[in-house]
Amino acid sequence: MIDISHLAKKFAVESPKKLSEQEKKDPRLKGRFFHSVKDVSFRCEKGEVVGLLGPNGAGKTTTLRILSTALKPEQGEVHINGINVLKDPVLARKKIGFLSSSTGLYGRLSGRENIAYFGQLHGLSKARIDEKIAEMADLLDMHSFLDRRAENFSSGMKQKVSIARAVIHDPELVILDEPTTGLDIMATATVMSFIERLKAQGTPVIFSTHHLDEVQALCDRVVVINLGETVFNGTTAEFADLSGGHMHQSFLHTLNGTKEEHSNVVNL
Amino acid sequence: MWLIFKKEFMELVRDRKTLIFMIALPVLVFPLLIGGTIFFTSNALEDAENKVLKYAVIGNANVADINSALSEDGSMLERVTLTAEQDYVAMIQADELDFVLEVPTPFNSEVLESGQLAINLYFNDAGLNKVYQRVSAILTPLSEEYQLQAFRALGLSESQQQAIVTPMLINRENVADNREVWGERIGAMLPYFLFFLCLQGAMAPASDMGAGEKERGTLETLLISPMPRYKLVLGKFFAISLSGVIAALVTVSSMALWTVIISQGLAVGFIVELLSSIGVLDFVLVFLMLVPVVAVFASLLLSLSIYARSFKEAQSYMGGLVMVMIFPIILAMMPGIELKGVWVWVPLTNVALAMKELVKGTMDYVALLGIFGSTALIAGILLAFSVHWFNREKVLFR
Repeated sequence: MIDISHLAKKFAVESPKKLSEQEKKDPRLKGRFFHSVKDVSFRCEKGEVVGLLGPNGAGKTTTLRILSTALKPEQGEVHINGINVLKDPVLARKKIGFLSSSTGLYGRLSGRENIAYFGQLHGLSKARIDEKIAEMADLLDMHSFLDRRAENFSSGMKQKVSIARAVIHDPELVILDEPTTGLDIMATATVMSFIERLKAQGTPVIFSTHHLDEVQALCDRVVVINLGETVFNGTTAEFADLSGGHMHQSFLHTLNGTKEEHSNVVNL
Repeated sequence: MWLIFKKEFMELVRDRKTLIFMIALPVLVFPLLIGGTIFFTSNALEDAENKVLKYAVIGNANVADINSALSEDGSMLERVTLTAEQDYVAMIQADELDFVLEVPTPFNSEVLESGQLAINLYFNDAGLNKVYQRVSAILTPLSEEYQLQAFRALGLSESQQQAIVTPMLINRENVADNREVWGERIGAMLPYFLFFLCLQGAMAPASDMGAGEKERGTLETLLISPMPRYKLVLGKFFAISLSGVIAALVTVSSMALWTVIISQGLAVGFIVELLSSIGVLDFVLVFLMLVPVVAVFASLLLSLSIYARSFKEAQSYMGGLVMVMIFPIILAMMPGIELKGVWVWVPLTNVALAMKELVKGTMDYVALLGIFGSTALIAGILLAFSVHWFNREKVLFR
């Protein structure tokens, strides 16, 4: 279980004068600081899949980076199965599997070597790494390219290897930042079935996405972030009910409304 | 940490660009450059020596001694007769003539009566030619003969003649041994090559291990691995350092080997003499002194690389760093700058000067320990700074 409460994160703006007019109008810009995340709170229980929604620049990636320990928040707390992520980030990292939105791989290493390297970083034995790679090669259909250098991989191949790399150490929580962006239908289906498998195993999954059909198909809960704040936090059914079952309308509804308007479903 | 080092080095070895710059370039290109330069230079010199020179004599064209001296080398010279209207300077510039001798009138071989005879030699001295040397070689014996005639006319003994020609003779009595002489000449160049090559060899890997991680999108994943940040930095630092050292050693070895092979006879003599005069300990110390220098370079390069947003940005920062780093090394090559006084405390310059002293065999080993220690301390501070930057969000997520 992961418990996130009242996260806030700001960044210094290097050159405020170089910001576009639209950026200057963003209410999160306060002097030399941009408050990327102002107040984000939600929970993800064991076996739950939480879909993190929000427009571009809403603060989703910053939130996920804080959860993954890559960034430190100015405010708020994150607990994973009782471990305070901010106080003990190294221990927390052992519990987290994180897939960033960039799906970067080491091009001069093979797919297998990319996965094995992160297994070694997590202190796994060679035998365990081999076993896990074999298991994930089956699950993610990677046998045909696993021993080729990653520099010529397609987006789908890269994403599959990245996912395998993120979960090689059997994490207690999996965080995926837009895992299906840029993938073809087949690769998307593979990623989605992998998330379903994690859910079936009882591993909590938080993933950000722009695809509402994925949310509808996979998620138990939906969290919508807008302008750095949680504007919706509820079950997928509650989210759909906001607009009579139309996910897209519900999403727009949460963006246009306020926290108070959704106080019946926002459990902050 | 070794896991990071091993992976980084494996990636380097698999990178064609790095291999080309680290191995192929020094092993193949330097010998080709050295060999090519020697080949073309010696060919050009041989052509200049053997070229049949077209010449004319103006002014007093009928001086028998000069004409006779010139005709003795007849197969290599071709005399041209000029009319008064012909512009001999323009003809030389147009390569129609190689030289023109202007002989004074009157021309009297009795120099005690006539005074010094000034002969003007017109030729084009731009580019490689041997005109002045070849004409001098023809006319100098004649000049010496006139000098001898004058001495005889004055009734001077041989010792008086020598005293007039060279009233004070300064004999060179060099107390420095050959090692010190060659050490002074080559020892100043050695650190320049070693430092520069280390820096060059470390630049591409450093760009790849910092900015490259950002550009590929692998940095974030690496940062959230349970490996402590300082170990990430140390792994990368050692990989960069090793590639710098390998690049320098491969290049210097290749250059030394090929210089000996290509130059054969001439170079072998002094190189073998110099190398055999330097003790094993001094060789070891020269390369030991390289260790903290490489550590300084690797720490700086890694810090710049992790600060840069992209590979290209890292390369531009590093270009500036090369300029800054080369300056203290060039200082050590300046005449009059020795390992004493304030120079003992100038970072990198002191190491370069110490390397020179080691090659010369005049190094004070206690001072060497101090220089090694101070450079290692600087490297340690820079490495700590690099670790600090790897912990700064502002640097990592610019």
